[in-house]
Amino acid sequence: MSKQPCDMPSAGRTMHPCDGRVVSTLTRRGVVLAALASASLPLLRHLPAYAAIDDVTEVAPGVFVHQGLYEVQSAANGGDIANASFVVGSEAVAVIDTSGSAKLGVQLRDAIRAVTDKPIRYVINTHMHPDHVFGNAAFKQDNPKFVGHYKLARALGTRKEGYLAANEQMVGSDAFAGSEVILPTVSIKEPTKLDLGDRELLLEPQPTAHTDNDLIVTDLKTETLFLGDLLFSVHVPTIDGSIAGWLSVLDDLEQRNVARVVPGHGPKTMELPEALAPQKRYLSAIADDVRRQIAEGKTLEEATKSAGFSEKDAWELFDQYHVRNVTAAYAELEWE
Amino acid sequence: MTHALKKLSRTVCGVVLAASIGVLADTSAFAEEDLWPTLRAEAFGDRPIAEENGYVVLETPKKVEDAAIVPLTVRIPPHVKDKLKSLSIFIDNNPDPKVATLNFGPAAGVGGERSFATRVRVDNFSHARAVLELEDGSLHMATKFLSAAGGCAAMQAKDPDADMAGIGKTVVRTFSPALSSNPIWSGQVMIKHPNHNGMQLDINTATFIPERYVREVTVERDGELVFKLDSTFSISTNPNFRFTFAKGDNNELDVSVVDTDGVAFDGTTKRESGS
Repeated sequence: MSKQPCDMPSAGRTMHPCDGRVVSTLTRRGVVLAALASASLPLLRHLPAYAAIDDVTEVAPGVFVHQGLYEVQSAANGGDIANASFVVGSEAVAVIDTSGSAKLGVQLRDAIRAVTDKPIRYVINTHMHPDHVFGNAAFKQDNPKFVGHYKLARALGTRKEGYLAANEQMVGSDAFAGSEVILPTVSIKEPTKLDLGDRELLLEPQPTAHTDNDLIVTDLKTETLFLGDLLFSVHVPTIDGSIAGWLSVLDDLEQRNVARVVPGHGPKTMELPEALAPQKRYLSAIADDVRRQIAEGKTLEEATKSAGFSEKDAWELFDQYHVRNVTAAYAELEWE
Repeated sequence: MTHALKKLSRTVCGVVLAASIGVLADTSAFAEEDLWPTLRAEAFGDRPIAEENGYVVLETPKKVEDAAIVPLTVRIPPHVKDKLKSLSIFIDNNPDPKVATLNFGPAAGVGGERSFATRVRVDNFSHARAVLELEDGSLHMATKFLSAAGGCAAMQAKDPDADMAGIGKTVVRTFSPALSSNPIWSGQVMIKHPNHNGMQLDINTATFIPERYVREVTVERDGELVFKLDSTFSISTNPNFRFTFAKGDNNELDVSVVDTDGVAFDGTTKRESGS
């Protein structure tokens, strides 16, 4: 049943050690132990920024989610813009995405420790983006397995310097202190189960979609599907892989029958298939417009001025990301 | 010839902002030495260059959204009647500032607006320049400032495996003008090629992925030269060129491409039904 995950050969564990200054000085405000699904909870964006990552909600028994803000990384939010989760088994804990800095990772770890003393055995990254991986450093002390899609190591390796510089610039050097790129030590190429004791997580690597290293995690016990950035809600989707591939993965996800999904950006939980609809509409609008414009001989510049603009009022951060999405879509779809 | 310049301007990888999937927050930190006098001297010696005189127009996006794919268009307005000799495009602060040089042939065309468009990588805040040389040897320059930086991340492929698949596939199209009397047609060349810049670390081997990019593209219409283009890795992955040419008898384009490994590719409109 469970396949043995393959260990990465000498994946870069020789980077700068997490320095000792990473200390959580924020007051722990207690873990919100809400019962079961909580899509109706007020959005965390209305809370004061950058003090809230220890605010996690138990969305199903043993499944905890912290909701990030619908913002771009900044000094004000410290990089707390993506959802981060953990799952507690009878023997061990798995973390699923670690937020955007070592300090936020420490806060997430504190939130875990407020719930359980069980060892943190796995730190899983759903994909390469900085707002999901830079908290990894806070878990080095637990000596976990760092787990990701088999293409995650390459993707992070080639982007390491750029990601570090850009994110330090965006959140500030104090807030970013101690953050580092930690490459996966377990690399997932085939569907693989991880055992946490009386509950298993199913890890499924995806073909290129949001990125070329998207990994879906399912807590089989509660039928909770962690989609990472394969699902955006409220926050406009960002294309850093393949728009055609992403639409195809969404078709697959529509067929799934689970209790709840956790998006990478959006409310703590949502339900299938309706959670997918707005994002599918957004990506389809871009793909349809761009394909038509390519067929008409329109240029990339022309496409960036009109494709998908019917979606402008449906999303937060549209102005920040939409033209980039159209650019990526055009450069991909012109080769169809 | 650009080797010294590459050394001169090669910024330390990652010191510049990276575009992750984040948005550039601060555009104020631009303080680079001015490389243009050196570039200019190397390319054109002390020949005079007329600036912003309307002979050549450079169009760049007001706001760069993706530093890995920045559309750049050069137009030579219809009031310029001269034959074209060459066109050189620079991005001063890129690791290789010389983006592309086109040497035009007899089929480059006269009698209407001529243009050339491509997509470039932008590594740092920089001036972009288009220098047009007319048949009489006069030089004319248009300059734009690019407020964008991608650091080395601008050079990262979204899907490196997909980029390597089908390397060398070359698609060529022509677009006939709305008015059949127009002596200027336009064409497009798309080349499937990763255009590796040699600055990406392969995490599995701890070595840099070797430089490999399209360095030469020759376009002929009905056997006559439109242009020969020398390019660098400042051109985006899957190099894409739109250009104009002189209307001919058959308006069939043949394109030959050579990359830095010496591998040759070709494409033609003849295999497809002409548009």
